[in-house]
Amino acid sequence: MTEATTSSRTAMIEMIKVCKKFPPNVMALDDISVSIANGEMFFLIGRSGAGKTTLLKLLCNMERPTNGLIEVAGMNINQVTGNKLAKLRQKVGVAYQDFRLLTDRTVAENIAISMEVSYKKPQIIRNRVKSLLSQLQLEDKHDILTGDLSRGEQQRVALARAVANSPTLILVDEPTGNLDATSTRQVMELLIRCNNSGATIVIATHDEALYQHSTHRIMKLHNGKLESLTRGDGRGWPSVAGARDSAGATDGSGDEI
Amino acid sequence: MNFWFSIFRQTGRNLRQTWTTQFMTCLTVSLSVLIFSFFYLIYLNMLNAGDKVSDDLRLVVYLEEEPGPEMQEQLRLKISQFDEVQEIKFISKTEAYNRFAEQLGDNRDVLTDMPTNFLPASIEVIPLKTLRSLSQIKLFAEYLATIPGSQKVQYGQQWVERFYYFIQLLSIVVLLSGALLILTATFMVASTIRLTIFGRQEELELLKLVGATNNYIRTPFLLEGILQGFIGSLLGLTSLYILFQWTARHFSGAGFLDLFTFTFFPPGIIITIVLLSIVLCTAGSYTSMQKFLRI
Ligand SMILES: Nc1ncnc2c1ncn2[C@@H]1O[C@H](COP(=O)(O)OP(=O)(O)OP(=O)(O)O)[C@@H](O)[C@H]1O
Ligand SMILES: [Mg+2]
Repeated sequence: MTEATTSSRTAMIEMIKVCKKFPPNVMALDDISVSIANGEMFFLIGRSGAGKTTLLKLLCNMERPTNGLIEVAGMNINQVTGNKLAKLRQKVGVAYQDFRLLTDRTVAENIAISMEVSYKKPQIIRNRVKSLLSQLQLEDKHDILTGDLSRGEQQRVALARAVANSPTLILVDEPTGNLDATSTRQVMELLIRCNNSGATIVIATHDEALYQHSTHRIMKLHNGKLESLTRGDGRGWPSVAGARDSAGATDGSGDEI
Repeated sequence: MNFWFSIFRQTGRNLRQTWTTQFMTCLTVSLSVLIFSFFYLIYLNMLNAGDKVSDDLRLVVYLEEEPGPEMQEQLRLKISQFDEVQEIKFISKTEAYNRFAEQLGDNRDVLTDMPTNFLPASIEVIPLKTLRSLSQIKLFAEYLATIPGSQKVQYGQQWVERFYYFIQLLSIVVLLSGALLILTATFMVASTIRLTIFGRQEELELLKLVGATNNYIRTPFLLEGILQGFIGSLLGLTSLYILFQWTARHFSGAGFLDLFTFTFFPPGIIITIVLLSIVLCTAGSYTSMQKFLRI
C-alpha cells in the first residue's frame, strides 16, 4: 500500500550511468541515466541497433548491466534474487520483440501463464483472457495454437500476456511492427487503458505515429548513447483523445534532463 | 489451494508430454522393486523357517559322570561364558533312561534287563534363536567339547550349517538387488526428469521471466518423482503378490513348501518398500533439478 500512496512522487525506474557492453566490443548502451515516474508512459526510439531492446532487457533483469545502477520500484534489480525477484517479475509485464510465445500451446494458455504463476483463480483467469482477447479482436483465436497464428496476431497475444496480470510496470518492445492501422489503434487503446489504471509503461518503437502527437516523453538512442529526451507536440493521438496526460502532471524530472 | 491446482496441472502437462519415457521409467522402477522384493520375501520366509527349525535345535553334551549340584553350577557358568543361551538343562542318567523308555513305547520290554543308569548323563543347551548365535553353532559345539567331563557333543550339524549358509547367501542377494533398486530408481528417474527439463527449456525460461517462483517450477518435477516411486513400487509389489498367489496355488501340498508356511509381506514392510522407492525416485528427480534447473 505504501507504494501506492507515495506513487505520484517516487520514480518507478531509476537508471544511473548504465552501460552495457557485449563481447567482443559492442557498446549496446553507453552511460544512460534516466528516471521514469510511476504512472508515466514513456517512449524509447532510435534506429535499429540503437539499444532499445537491450535497455528493456536490463529493466526486466534478463541482462545485467556492465556498469551503473538500475532501480525498479525502489529495488536494485541486480541484487534481487530468488522469490523476491519472482515477485517483482510478476509485477513487470513484458511484451518481447521476439514474442516468446509457447507455440505448442493455445492462445488462451499463453495468456494465462502470467496469471497462473501468481496463483490467480481459474475463473478469474478465464474471464481476463476472454476480456483481453475481445479488446484485441482475437476472440475467435481462443483455442488456436499460437504457432499457427500470423505475426500480427502473435504480437497481440504477446501483448495480452504482458498486461494480463495487471502489472505495475509494462515494457513493450515494438508492439505494432506487424499491425495495420486498426489493430495498432486497438493495441494503443489497451496500453492507454492500462496506463490510466496506474501502470507505468515503456514502449520501444519505430512507429512515429504512436508518440508524435502525444505529450509523453520520448527518449532517443543512437548507438547506445542518449541522443535526446523530448516530448511529443501534444496535439494528441487522433483516436485516443481521452488519454490522460500522466507524464507532465506527475514528474518534473523531464525538464531537468 | 490455487497453488496445488497449478502444480497438478503442470505435472499433468509434464506427464502428457513425455508419457512414453515416463511409462518406461515406471516399468523399470517396478521391475527393480519386483526383483528386490522377490528376494527379500524369500529371505524373510527363510528366516521364519529358520526360527521354526531352531525351535528343535539343541546341543547335547554327553558327560562322563553325573554332576553334583555344585558342579552343575560351574558348568552353567562355563557354558554361558561362550555366549548367552536360552536354556541349559541337566539330564540325569535316570531321566535319560525314562525318556528313552518313553520313546520306545510298547517295545520298552527290551529294557527290563538293563540297569537304569546305563545311559550317560547329559546337558541340553538351547541356543538363542538369533542368526548370529546360530551361525556360530559349530564353534559353540567345539567349545562345549572342551568343558571338563564332556564326552561328545551332538547337534543336527550338517543340515543346520547348510541352512544358515544358504540364508547368508540369500542376504547377499537381497543386498545386491537392493543396490540395483537404488541405482535404477534414482538414475532412471533422474534421466527422465532431465529429458523433461530439456524438452521444456523454452517454457521453463519463460516461466522464470513471468515471475514463477522456485516452488512453482520445481514442485511438479518433485511430484513426478513421487508419482514414479509410488506407482512403480505398487506395480512391482502387485505383480509379486500375483506371483506369490500363483505359486502358493500350484505348489501347495508339494513337499518342500509344506515344511513351513510361506507368507507374504506384512503391511509394515509393504509400506516401507513403497516409501523407500518414493524417497529414491524423489531423490533422483531432485538431483536432476539441481543440475539442470538453474534458477
Ligand atoms: N546478446 C548480444 N550479444 C552481442 N551483441 C548484442 C547482443 N544483444 C544485442 N547486441 C548488440 O547490441 C546492439 C543493440 O541491440 P538492440 O537489440 O538493443 O537494438 P534495438 O534498438 O532493439 O534494435 P531493433 O530496433 O532492430 O530491435 C546491436 O548492435 C546488437 O547487435
Ligand atoms: Mg529491438
